[in-house]
Amino acid sequence: MSDFWIMAKKEMKNLIRDKKLLFGLIIVPLVLYPAMGKLMHVGLEKAQGETHVAIANFDDGQYGMVLVKTLQNAPNVTVTLINASSVERALEFAAKRDQNVLVVIPHNFSESIINDKPATVKLYGIFRSVSTGMKESVSEGRINAVISVLSEQIARIKIQKLGAGSPDAVLHPVRAESMSYLKNRIVPVSPSIVSGVLASQSITLPIIIFLMVTITAQMAAGAVAAEKENKTLETLLTLPVKRTTIVASKITGTALMGLIAALAYMVGMRSYMESLGVQSGISLSELGLQIAPGGMVLFALIIFLTIIFSLSLAMILAIFAQDVQSANTVVSSVILPLAFPAFILMYTGIGELPAAARYALLADPFTHPIVAYQYMLSGNYTGMLTSIAYLAVLAALTLYTTARIFSTEKVLTAKIGRGRKS
Amino acid sequence: MPAVKVENLEKDYGKVKALRGISFEIKEGEIFGLIGPNGAGKSTTLKILATLLTPTGGKAEIFGHDVVKEAPRIRELISYLPEEAGAYKNLTGREYLEFMARLYAKNERDSAKMMELGIKLSGLGGRLDDKVSTYSKGMTRKLLLARALMVRPKLAILDEPASGLDIINAYTIRKTIREFARSEGVTFLLSSHNMLEVEFLCHRVALIDEGRIIDLGTPGELKERYDAENLEEVFMRAIGEGGVHYE
Repeated sequence: MSDFWIMAKKEMKNLIRDKKLLFGLIIVPLVLYPAMGKLMHVGLEKAQGETHVAIANFDDGQYGMVLVKTLQNAPNVTVTLINASSVERALEFAAKRDQNVLVVIPHNFSESIINDKPATVKLYGIFRSVSTGMKESVSEGRINAVISVLSEQIARIKIQKLGAGSPDAVLHPVRAESMSYLKNRIVPVSPSIVSGVLASQSITLPIIIFLMVTITAQMAAGAVAAEKENKTLETLLTLPVKRTTIVASKITGTALMGLIAALAYMVGMRSYMESLGVQSGISLSELGLQIAPGGMVLFALIIFLTIIFSLSLAMILAIFAQDVQSANTVVSSVILPLAFPAFILMYTGIGELPAAARYALLADPFTHPIVAYQYMLSGNYTGMLTSIAYLAVLAALTLYTTARIFSTEKVLTAKIGRGRKS
Repeated sequence: MPAVKVENLEKDYGKVKALRGISFEIKEGEIFGLIGPNGAGKSTTLKILATLLTPTGGKAEIFGHDVVKEAPRIRELISYLPEEAGAYKNLTGREYLEFMARLYAKNERDSAKMMELGIKLSGLGGRLDDKVSTYSKGMTRKLLLARALMVRPKLAILDEPASGLDIINAYTIRKTIREFARSEGVTFLLSSHNMLEVEFLCHRVALIDEGRIIDLGTPGELKERYDAENLEEVFMRAIGEGGVHYE
């Protein structure tokens, strides 16, 4: 086995046996995220369950009864009729009987409809605890839907009585049929759905990249600072191993662990999002956004170069720290502000920004994976190649600087603050 | 050819002059000690010879190789034990020795031989299979000394090898060094501010203070030269502060 692999193996073994790292990087995303998702899912399912509606009907006419019957026939709705003397008594009764909503039909309900005046039904969502009120919200939505169907039905009957040929044409004189034009192709899907599909991608990706970059940077910084903190660095630097091999093995070890952590986060987040039902049912390929293998290779290369840049930058910063804690602080204060601007691209394409903002964002290496993803979807390989060239230069420069510092005594003597030992 | 040749070695840390032109030579197979108080320049000298620091002036050679120009070659010849050294806490003692043996050994057979010696030198027995994080200071030091010696270096550089250890652990460490030097003929350069340790181990010693070597010789020669009973008295008289030192 070469020196490089002996050292990379040691790095990984050392990292993988660190219980704090293992918990934060593998257990949290793989266990806690899905568990949180499942809990949210249970809450949502409960909210989607049967709506219990109490109806206090103060109306003597036919339309009050029509509304009651319509609600009784509505799916996922259980109706309880209440004989109450006032709205307050009806609310007390409904609350005691664990009802989700009280519908109050006023005494002039039928009269108003017959006399062509708007009739008002009052809905009271009954909150039994100060929680999110999802159940009450879902219940209100269901009843509103029933009332709107009934309202439209009554309107149709009235229009027919007035002698109009087509009640539909009177009710909806103008209709819109939404479609999208994407990559020179008409897609029979509304822009809001297309936007939803693209948004789910463009929101998830920056988060994953952000996590991956910060996690791997913290690990690389930790790997260097731990050598100082645990007093192993001096021994390491006097071993018959090239300094470039030491740097390369640390980068490889932490990059591999970072990759495992990023995968764990991806799996965990996916499971969390799926539990919340963030699924439009439409894939990218259905929108004509197929990812070609060539594009994927270029994208993977961009991710790789971004991680190499991030890791070597973190190692340079960690050289100035004396322990893991201060290394994490130094790295966070540099990497986080650099990684944060990538979030701007969650909501806008790079091409839509003013020139100054565009170049400022492109100067930041951490925006490139997100820009590259947009390029990959639109098949702009020239843009991706430009990103690769830029990131390759940056990664090479930081790697060279790291290797240079490791080859000099600065790796031992550089520090924030002062102090010297004989 | 001397094992170590140091000529007018200087080292500045900014405005602070840690070494002000020291010179000495160590013969092959010799145990050579640098003694002096904290801040005298002992660790700086050892770090320069271990290729960790670059001298500001002067020259140092190990077996004829320049420590600055031929640093990678030097690292193949030496083994360095820093004063405040640690081992990888998440590895077991055995894994730590294996990791080091693989980096030094040319093949599996050499690696196995190094491991055999390392296990013997450490004297940790079954505890070698426990994680280093569970070791006491004395156990960690024994492991590190075993690591430094098992590779049979041409020159072993030990910075305060038994510093901060209890009597039993310190005695074991010194005994290991002396027996290893006798059996393997390895050249040793060690620093210490423990005069008893130096007298027990070293063939020759250099007295160092404020970045300068103030005298050099065998413990016997130095004691005779300063008409002193031990090296502690020698040192105090050499720096011009005689008088009674034992209370």
